[in-house]
Amino acid sequence: MSQRKRGEMHVMSQRRASRWADIGFRGVAAVCSAMPLVVLAAILAVVVAGAMPSIRYMGWRFITDITWNLGNLYGAISVHGGVRAPAGASYGALVFLVGTLASSAIALVIAVPVSVLTAAVLAYQVRGPLQSLLSFLVELLAGIPSVVFGLWGILVLAPWVGSQLGPGIAHLFGWVPFLGGSAGTGLGLLTSGLVLALMITPIITAAVRDLLMQVPRLYREGGIGLGLTSWEVLRHVCLPIVREGLIGAVALGWGRAMGETMAVLMVGGSALNQLPQNLYSPISTMAAVIANQLDSALTDASHMAVHALAELAALLLVLTVVTNLVARLLVHRVGWTAGARGVRV
Amino acid sequence: MRMDIRMRTWMGGAAAAALLLTVAGCGTNSGGGNSGSNQTASGAENTSSSGKQTGASGDGSKTVKLDETGSSLLYPLFNGQWIPAYQDKHPNVQLSAASTGSGEGISDSMQGLVQIGGSDAYLSDAQMQQGSSMLNIPLAVSAQQVMYNVPEVGKKHLHLDGDVLAKIYMGQITYWDDAAIKSLNPGINLPHQKIVVVRRSDSSGDTFLFTQYLSDNNAQWKSKYGFGTDVSWPAVNGEIGAKGNDGIVTALEKNKYSISYVGISWLNQATQGGLGYAALKNKSGQFVLPTASSIESAAAAMVGKVPDDERISLIDAPGANSYPIINFEYAIVRSHQSDAATAQALKNFLQWAIDPQGGNDTKYLSPVHFQPLPQDLEGKTKAQIDKIEG
Repeated sequence: MSQRKRGEMHVMSQRRASRWADIGFRGVAAVCSAMPLVVLAAILAVVVAGAMPSIRYMGWRFITDITWNLGNLYGAISVHGGVRAPAGASYGALVFLVGTLASSAIALVIAVPVSVLTAAVLAYQVRGPLQSLLSFLVELLAGIPSVVFGLWGILVLAPWVGSQLGPGIAHLFGWVPFLGGSAGTGLGLLTSGLVLALMITPIITAAVRDLLMQVPRLYREGGIGLGLTSWEVLRHVCLPIVREGLIGAVALGWGRAMGETMAVLMVGGSALNQLPQNLYSPISTMAAVIANQLDSALTDASHMAVHALAELAALLLVLTVVTNLVARLLVHRVGWTAGARGVRV
Repeated sequence: MRMDIRMRTWMGGAAAAALLLTVAGCGTNSGGGNSGSNQTASGAENTSSSGKQTGASGDGSKTVKLDETGSSLLYPLFNGQWIPAYQDKHPNVQLSAASTGSGEGISDSMQGLVQIGGSDAYLSDAQMQQGSSMLNIPLAVSAQQVMYNVPEVGKKHLHLDGDVLAKIYMGQITYWDDAAIKSLNPGINLPHQKIVVVRRSDSSGDTFLFTQYLSDNNAQWKSKYGFGTDVSWPAVNGEIGAKGNDGIVTALEKNKYSISYVGISWLNQATQGGLGYAALKNKSGQFVLPTASSIESAAAAMVGKVPDDERISLIDAPGANSYPIINFEYAIVRSHQSDAATAQALKNFLQWAIDPQGGNDTKYLSPVHFQPLPQDLEGKTKAQIDKIEG
C-alpha cells in the first residue's frame, strides 16, 4: 500500500516536473520567437527617432535633391524652421538612392540566371563526390569577406573593366542609351554591379539548390516520361513548383546587394552631387555614404549631419522591406495567372 | 619597424584572447590562479584595459587609466611609440589607444568617455561653445603632398599652386596641358590628357588640410565649398572618391593622368610605386617640396600667430622655405576630468608628450613621419595643460 502510494507520488512529482518544464519551454520559446520582432522594432524606432529632425529639415527633398552637403562645419549654425543646422547644409540623397538601386539591379540581372542554372546543375546534373565538392565551393564563395571582394575588385576587376570590358561594351552597344560614352576609370556602376553579382550569386545558388532538391522526384520523372528535355523539365515542372521560394531567394540576394557596404565603397568611385551619366560613371550607395561620412558628421555641433545619416539608414531599411514586399506581391499575381491557365506541355 | 608593430598587435591579440579565456574560466572556477595570466597580459601589451588590476606595481600608488580614441593618423604614434615608451617609466598609468577616426575621438572626449580625443583638426567655434571648456592641445606637426601619375612627367616635381588645384577640383581645368599648368611649368612636356581627379571619400584630416589650402588660394572655392574633414565636392566628370590614403595611392597608381592629395606618411611608399609629387607655391611665391626642414620652418614661422587656445590653420605660412600645407595634430581634452588622480596623470602624460626630451623626441616622431612642435610654442601649450583639473 505504502509502496503503491510512494509510486503514485513519484509519478505525480514527475508530472509536476514535466509541467514546469513545459511552462519553462513555453516561456523561453515565447521570448526567443519575440526576439526578432522586438529587435526589428527597436532598430526601426531608434533609426526613425534619430531621423526625425532631418525629416523636418529636408522633407521630401531628401529623396528628390542631389546635393549632399554637410554645410560649413566651421561656420555659424543657422536655424531653418525651428531646426538647427550648419550654414549651407543640404541633405539630398537621390544620388545614393539611384546608386543603390542601379548597382543592385545590375547585380540581380547577372546573378539570377547564373544562380538558377548553377543550382539546377548542382541539384540534378551532378552526383556523389562531385556534387558535394561543387556545393562546398559555392558555399565557400559565400563565406569570403566583402573587403576581400573589394580588394580584388579595386586591384584586378576595375582596371580590366576600365581598359577592356567598358570600352568593349561602349563600342558594341554604344547606340543603346546609357551604355555609350566614356568608359571612365573602371571605378563605378558597372564594376560595383559585377562585384555585387559575385557576392550574391552563392547566396541565391545555395537557396535555389535546396528548393530544387525538394521537388518530388515523381514530378520530374513524369516530365521526362512525357518526353520533355532536361531544360523543359526545369522550366515547366521544377521552377513553377518552387516559384515562391525562388522569389524569396532573389529578395534575399537583393537585400544583401543593397545593404553591402565595404566592397561597393571600394570600387564604386564614391560619386557626390552627380547622378550616373552612363554605365561606367562613379556611384555611391546609401550604406557606403553612411560608413564614409559618419566621422565627419560626428563633428557637426548641431548634430544634424548624424540625423541625416540616420534618415539614410531608415530609407535603406524601408527600401529593403518594400522590395521584399513587391517581390512577394509579384509572385502571387504571377502565380494566380499561371494557375488559371494551367500547365501547358 | 612595421614588423615590430605587427608583432605587437599579434601579441596584443593573443594576450586579449588569454584574458578572455581567464574571464570565462572565472565564471565556473571563481577566483584563484588567474593573477599570473593577468600579469602576462598587461606586460605583453598596453591596450588591454579590461584586466583586473589588483594591487599597484612599482611606486605603490593607485593605477590610473587613460584612454585615447580618434585619428587613424595619430594611432601609430600612440600605439606604436608613445604608449610603450611612457608605460615603461610609468607602470601605474594604464594607457590605451584606438583608431576610430577624428570625429569619433572628438565626440568621445567631449562626452567624457575617453580622456584624449586624437584629431587632425581643431574644434570649430560651434563645438567650443557646446563642449564645457574643451582644450585643443597640439601634439605634433603633420604635412601632406600633392601626387600625380603622369608618365610623361614621371617623378619630376611639377610646380603647382592652390589656385590651379582649386580649378582642377572644380572642373575648370580639365587637361594636363592647360595654359595655367603650362605657365607654372615652362620647359616640361605636358600631355594633352584629361585629368582624373581623385579625392578622399571618407572623413579625413587630409581633406581638412587640402581644402584649407584651396580655400586660402581661391575665392570661389572658399565661398562655395569651404573646408572641413568632408566637403560637398563639386561634381567633376569622372572624378573618383577613394577610401583612406591606401585607397588614394592605389587609385593613383591604377589610373594614368590622375592627381590627388596624400598624407606625408605615405610619401615613401607612393614614390616607390612610381608617383610624382609636386613642389607647391607658398606665400612668398616660392615652390617648395615637403621636407623636414621646409615643414619645420613653416611651423616655426606660424608660432607668433598661434592664439592662446591654439586653434589655428597653419596653411600658407610666411617664409621663403616654408611648405604651405602643414597642420597640428591635436589632443582634444576636457579641462574638467572625473577625478584629481586622472587629471594629474593626464597632465603628466601631455607634458611628457610635448617635451622635446620626451614624446616630442624625433626618435618617436620620425617613424610615423611627424615633425616636432616648434620650441617657442611650449609656453602656450603648457598654459593650456595647466587648465586641466580634477
